[in-house]
This record gives sequence, structure tokens and C-alpha cells, in this order.
Amino acid sequence: MKIILSDRPLSLDLGNRTDVVCFDLSHMKITPCVGCFGCWTKTPGKCVIRDDAVRVYPRLAESDTALYVSRVRYGGYDVVMKTMLERAIPVQQAFIRLLDGETHHVQRAVVPKKATIVAYGARDREEEELFRRLVARNAKNMSFQSYEIRFTDEEQVEAAVRQEVETWA
Amino acid sequence: MGVKKVLILNGSPRAPRSNSRRYAALFTQFCGLETESMDLLRADPKAVAERLEAVSDVLLIFPLYADAIPVPVLRAFKALEEAPPQNRPTLSVLVNCGFLEPEQSDVAVAMVELFCKRMGWPVGSVLEIGSGEAILDQPFRVFARWKIRTLARAVTAGRHRRLKVTMPISKKFFLKASTKYWTDYGARNGITAEQMATMEIEGSLPDDR
Repeated sequence: MKIILSDRPLSLDLGNRTDVVCFDLSHMKITPCVGCFGCWTKTPGKCVIRDDAVRVYPRLAESDTALYVSRVRYGGYDVVMKTMLERAIPVQQAFIRLLDGETHHVQRAVVPKKATIVAYGARDREEEELFRRLVARNAKNMSFQSYEIRFTDEEQVEAAVRQEVETWA
Repeated sequence: MGVKKVLILNGSPRAPRSNSRRYAALFTQFCGLETESMDLLRADPKAVAERLEAVSDVLLIFPLYADAIPVPVLRAFKALEEAPPQNRPTLSVLVNCGFLEPEQSDVAVAMVELFCKRMGWPVGSVLEIGSGEAILDQPFRVFARWKIRTLARAVTAGRHRRLKVTMPISKKFFLKASTKYWTDYGARNGITAEQMATMEIEGSLPDDR
């Protein structure tokens, strides 16, 4: 399974591909995480907020390839993508493990993935560098086996996405 | 700006019953300046900007969320950049991270610093707290209190510092202690450790879907 999470509509022709699922997060009802820890300690693996996010994180967990499309803000993801990433914590357990000598949450059934991030709207090199540092941190908590960041202008987002998807076998 | 005053902004997604609120209360206890608090969660951005006009300092408190600033802080930053206050307060930051290593918050702090740079606001003190979910309820709370007092004194004096604190225990012991913490948390909801450790997501495993 391959997944595309985008913070904007994409005009992408996936043809007959059944191995790719694409979510336009900007048109989904995804409210922010309320930090209740319900997905860890009340209904493990399930978010207590039953909106569109519950359709997304199981698919993200089972994907071996993920393409994230997000505007960059202050060196991180903008609100639409960040809201979804925060709502994806049911894929982790409350329990802590050691990973590369650091403490991190134990993952549930999350497939290690090759991640590509099409990051647009960064204002300067400093912001790009900070985003690189963030994604390096995400790799540990979001099961990235490998990752690549493609910085681009807003006008070039569609082209960058098409280019990436064309490489998918 | 005549009198120095600190606006404490709570950026927690669960602001009313957050650890961030407890950290804010400790800061207020130790700070030599007048303080007032505001939760960003449901705050009107205009009201935040108005309150910022009347203070010399801001203390932004938030939990690390997905390795970065949480959504309430991100939203507030965007709104403030769009309609900035005339005043440029010095912004200090306290980040609490549930992992043992406080430096896991370095990227989030850098994001706050980038925001300050764009706003032309001076960056003040920084306190990164590791094991922040549990530290206030353990005997180790004395270490957190001590650093928050140091932070409060730095903000009061305008002599800013970069500080870190965590439980002074080995990683191995932290794993054991955190397992007990979360197991007890689940038990209060009638959920066993085995149930909490399920590999299922939304009730199924990838092969079942």
C-alpha cells in the first residue's frame, strides 16, 4: 500500500492503481488532538474523536510508501498536515522503548516506510534547514525507514508530486 | 512600556487540565514580576494581540507534539504574524517533553526562535523539561521546581538563560518507571497493560484490512 497525504487538492491521475490511496486533508473533517490519551489508555489504538482522521491513520500505518505534501511554517508542517500528524498518535502505544539510544514510544502495527515530503512555501534556507531537522526527528517517531525531502515552490507542487508518483512501481 | 509584566501563554491542546498549567503556576509562584495567563486553545487571536501590547515579556509553555510546536501554538503564531501587535515583547519558552531527553525539544525551540526572528521579538530564556508528563508527580519534582525557579529569576532579572532538566535516572530505569506510570494510568480507566499494548489500529491489523 502507498499513501499520499496532501494539505491541498491535487489533480492527480492514478489510473487503475489500487495500491495507492490519496487523501486531500484540506477537504476532510479533522479536528485537533485534545491530548486526552484516550487512544493509549481508554480505547487503545482508536482515537476517541470519530471524525475523518480515523480513516487516515490506519492507512498510513499499513503503507510502506508515503508521500506527504505540506506547506512549511516556521520550519515545520502547516496547520492542516500538523493537525493530522497529531491525530495519528493512536498508531503508537503509551509505552516507551529505546531507539538509537533515545526514548520513544513503542509503535503498534506500523509498516516501516519510505517517506517523501514535498515541502513548499519555505521562505529561506534557514527554514528549510529547520524542516530537515524536524523530519529527521519524525523519522524516529513515524517509522521512516528512509526519507527524502523535496523543497519546491507552490507552483511546482503538482509537478513534484507527479514526478514522485511516477517512480512508484 | 513602564512596568515589567509577563504574559504566560499556555499552548497545550488540553489547556484547562494540562501539565503546562501546572508549570505556569510554579513560574508565577517564583516570578518577581506581575504575571497574567491565557490559554491559546480557544483564545481569540485579536485578544492575544491586545494582551501582548501591555507586557514586557511572554512565557510560552507547551508540550512537545509530534516533535514540534502543537497546533494551538502554530495557529497563534500565524495569527500574530498576520496581525502583529505594535509591542515587541521578549519571548521565553518552556517546553515539556514526555521522553527522558529534554533535547528532543530542540527543534520545537528553534521553531519558536524562527517565529521571534520574523516578528522582530527578542528571544529570552529557554527551559526544556524531559520526562515532563510525570516529573511533577514524582519525588523528582524538586528538580523541575528548582529549574522553573531559575527560569523565573532569569526572566525577572532580564538575564536570560538556556536551561534543561529531566529525571536524574538511567534510561533503563526510566523505561521501567514509565511503564508503571502508563500501566497505572490505564488501570484507572479499567484497561490492562496487555490491552494498552495491542498492535491493532482501529481494531485491526494491516493484514486484516
